[in-house]
Amino acid sequence: MKKQRRAGSRLLMGLVFLFLYAPIFLLIVFSFNSGESSTVWQGFSLHWYKQLFHNRIIMESVYTTLLVSLLATVIATVVGTFAAIGLYSMKRRWRTPLLTINNIPMMNADIVTGVSLCLFFAAFFQGWRSFARWFNEAQDMMELPVRLTLGFATLLIAHIAFNIPYVILNVAPKLRQMDKNLVDAAQDLGCTWMQAFWKVILPEIKPGIVSGALIAFTMSIDDFVISYFTAGSATSTLAMTIYGMTKKRITPEINAISTLLFVTVLVLLLVKNMREIRLERQASRRPAFSPADDTASARVVRFSPDTRRTVKRIAAVAAICAIAAGMFTLGGAARSQRVVNVCSWGEYIDPELITQFEEQTGIRVNYQTAESNEALYSLLMSGGGDYDVIVPSDYMIAQLIEEDMLAELNYDNLPNFSLIDDRFKNLPYDPENKYTVPYAWGTVGIIYDRNKVDEELTSWSALYDDKYAGDVLLINNSRDAFGIALKYLGYSVNTTDEAQIREAYALVADAMERNVFQGKVMDEVFQKMEGGNAAIATYYAGDYLSMVDNQADNVDLAFSIPEEGSNWFVDAMCVLKEASNYEEAHEWINFIASTEANLANMDYIWYASPNTTALEQYPAYYEELYEEPLDPEVYEIMAAPQEVLDRCELYVSLPPKIRALYNDLWITLGI
Amino acid sequence: MSKDLICLSGCSMAFDDVVVLDNVNLNIKDKEFLTLLGPSGCGKTTTLRIIGGFQTPTSGDIMFDGVRINDVPPHKRTINTVFQKYALFPHLNVYENIAFGLRIPKPGPDGKKVSLPEEEIDRRVMEMLEVVNLKGFEKRRVSQLSGGQQQRVAIARALVNRPKVLLLDEPLGALDLKLRKDMQNELKRIQQAMEITFVYVTHDQEEALAMSDTVVVMDGGRIQQIGTPEDIYNEPQNAFVADFIGESNIIDGIMRSDGVVEIFNRRFACLDKGFDKDEAVDVVIRPEDVDIVPEDQGQLKGTVTNVTFKGMQYDIIVDFYGFKWLIQTTDLSPVGSRIGIKIDPDGIHVMKKSEYSGMFGDYSSYSEEYEEIGDVSIEPDEEESGDEE
Repeated sequence: MKKQRRAGSRLLMGLVFLFLYAPIFLLIVFSFNSGESSTVWQGFSLHWYKQLFHNRIIMESVYTTLLVSLLATVIATVVGTFAAIGLYSMKRRWRTPLLTINNIPMMNADIVTGVSLCLFFAAFFQGWRSFARWFNEAQDMMELPVRLTLGFATLLIAHIAFNIPYVILNVAPKLRQMDKNLVDAAQDLGCTWMQAFWKVILPEIKPGIVSGALIAFTMSIDDFVISYFTAGSATSTLAMTIYGMTKKRITPEINAISTLLFVTVLVLLLVKNMREIRLERQASRRPAFSPADDTASARVVRFSPDTRRTVKRIAAVAAICAIAAGMFTLGGAARSQRVVNVCSWGEYIDPELITQFEEQTGIRVNYQTAESNEALYSLLMSGGGDYDVIVPSDYMIAQLIEEDMLAELNYDNLPNFSLIDDRFKNLPYDPENKYTVPYAWGTVGIIYDRNKVDEELTSWSALYDDKYAGDVLLINNSRDAFGIALKYLGYSVNTTDEAQIREAYALVADAMERNVFQGKVMDEVFQKMEGGNAAIATYYAGDYLSMVDNQADNVDLAFSIPEEGSNWFVDAMCVLKEASNYEEAHEWINFIASTEANLANMDYIWYASPNTTALEQYPAYYEELYEEPLDPEVYEIMAAPQEVLDRCELYVSLPPKIRALYNDLWITLGI
Repeated sequence: MSKDLICLSGCSMAFDDVVVLDNVNLNIKDKEFLTLLGPSGCGKTTTLRIIGGFQTPTSGDIMFDGVRINDVPPHKRTINTVFQKYALFPHLNVYENIAFGLRIPKPGPDGKKVSLPEEEIDRRVMEMLEVVNLKGFEKRRVSQLSGGQQQRVAIARALVNRPKVLLLDEPLGALDLKLRKDMQNELKRIQQAMEITFVYVTHDQEEALAMSDTVVVMDGGRIQQIGTPEDIYNEPQNAFVADFIGESNIIDGIMRSDGVVEIFNRRFACLDKGFDKDEAVDVVIRPEDVDIVPEDQGQLKGTVTNVTFKGMQYDIIVDFYGFKWLIQTTDLSPVGSRIGIKIDPDGIHVMKKSEYSGMFGDYSSYSEEYEEIGDVSIEPDEEESGDEE
């Protein structure tokens, strides 16, 4: 009986550990996989680690993370230590509530901390703007910058802020344990307060300071949520970069960087715990005295030679980190001062192009991504984005022009604009073509898994069909979701007839009621469809081709543009009115509009190019590159022939009233 | 013992309107062993901390060698302190603890800060280790020492700086009884050998009487009496001092004339003079000054209610007309027996009435009081060394 029970509890324990560590173990194993699959082992290789160190975006975020964590740790440790000493010398009736207040930020949800810091910075920037304007007008001696944005400084401030409580929490008990008379004794023996601090207080509370600093460093490296809200658009920590990368699919590169991150945090925790065990052991090893001595010996944990060794080891680790950060800093300083801030979509550029552009022009590209046009729009509205070039879609461009947010381009500095096919110039969203240079174009179609759907899908009706209940992915933006429903009902995607829109809403809502939809997705569609986790989705043609490339063995994807017609779209590069790098923005746009860049991009992202030559030459380019001809069917999906485009409509910007209706209905839909 | 080294004049101290020191006037002579004696919260530690420079009096002056030092910080005073529970530096070994003060650069004759040469430090530390009998312990960590050894390190650490005055704050409080006795002798020996002034704080009256040249009895933030141990014991000035120093029966009396005091309506001959005729007074009779005689020969007659064997003597409680006395005697009188007592004139001490009159001297709650007196390891004075700063 007993034995059985023990075996049972052991089994349970084993399961718990398996559950906890199996995913991490899997991640580590597959980071060494030579193939791209994250399910099939194809042999050992350090390929992904090599790749990792060549990925500029990742390395830059590693640098940012290390620098922020180190600076935040150092500053928070100093501030926190002195704060703890200050608290400690207060009267108890003040100290206790203040320590409680100190604990609250640690219990607080990160998201609340993040959002509130973000609001705080926004409010400060607002105030600063008024002040700087007034100050600049009042005198001519110096010019203060008027526009402040979220960035490295705010990220650092946020990290310092959330680290300080951890330092205080670790230092305060050491101070409490310390004999109050020690400071008096030091002063009595001739020390000033400052000397007493260095010679007596510091050695006494050092274990607390070191573990506080270690925790702070770990928290900093680990943080995602608070960083996300305070880093702004131009700065990205490692966690944020990883998050950005996972939106589409988990590549082995992410396994590799996650492994490194896991090992780093693990090492830090091990160091911290080993220290604590050592200190405890020492404490228990102290000889026992007669009872009368208890009061005297029940004092502070002391430093022994082996703790010193641990401290030295920690110092060594810190030094290595510092050197690494220093090297990164040097590398950073050597970089040019000219920058261009670009915001585009995920996996929407051949990264080689960024490197090429930087090498050619010496301009540093700060490349960020947004999730959808709507997300980009709200980012711009909230003042969160500090971009020069954005690549919104047609209808959003119209809206931005309407709201006077875009700068007119200087086409004299954009010679490559002439290479753009006339079909993609002067389109309704920019009738006189004063603001835009097309980036890519494509169609929206229905993507389905032949292994789950045993018919050729030629109508949108499948999206709302009970037959596929629970297997359909609804596209997660109102314009596309309702647009497709409108098309299915035979209306225009640009209709301003409220009744028609409500009818489209009813269609979607009804299907939702019947649980046809598995969920609302944007970029998660890749994982779902590639992995065979859903049968039908609506998405962009280019992305379909990318999915086919990555589909699992048991998945057989197909694509069609239904008979009812669909939406076709153009994404174009624009420069924001508030852009601080207008010249550099033009250089970037011109570079991207070149035939070479368009060919590279088309090959990488599988979207059609608006560059006449690139579009024509692509099959030949493909054949040369891969030594096999391009499947004409694939080419047709990429660059829809004119007769398909004729079935499709381009979105135009809707009047505010209709936009509001879209919004309301979309919210009503919920999920 | 000549001139006054430290003078406190009119020193008062208040924390948040709570007066802990009330108009203290105290002169401390050079090379004397002075003890501040009193119960917890009497202001003795505060007085010591004012001398040490850890606290500045709210009003009044403190003079050192004729110079006002109210605002001189502790590190600039030629005074060192041995703290309650020693406050040794746990991260340093014995040697470094003692050398601590010597390693702090001090202003030289030209005002520039200079450090002592290493040989000088070593010589002085080793000298001190010899003085406190800790040779061979220099590499030990302080946590590896016994309480008595830690105590000696604390003394060495303070004395190595050659202070003019050494302040000791209940230094023996954490030691057991046997060790305490040894250390008392040790301290006295060191004080005489080094020829410096000791200001010693304790709540233990025996310790105070055994070691001091001068005892200062304090209570409620005020000095109750200053005197030699003999003065304090034999001529207490009020009921508080009489009760706090040794055991005392304190009885209401009336001074009928010089040399005649009336208690329990009986007249006793005494040596005290200078009171008004028929002045109400407190009369102190020490338990050992009472002679037990057969009932019919006694000046007072009473019943034995309690007997405790103390080794050298019996402590017996005797009820006289409802007032309980403590009497120490070598002859056993069993509980319930009737006895008489005689008191010689020099066994009677007459004091003026004070605010303490009627508070002490009755042994009717004998047993509880004994426990309290026996409790020597009283907690450190929380309200004095606690949170004020």
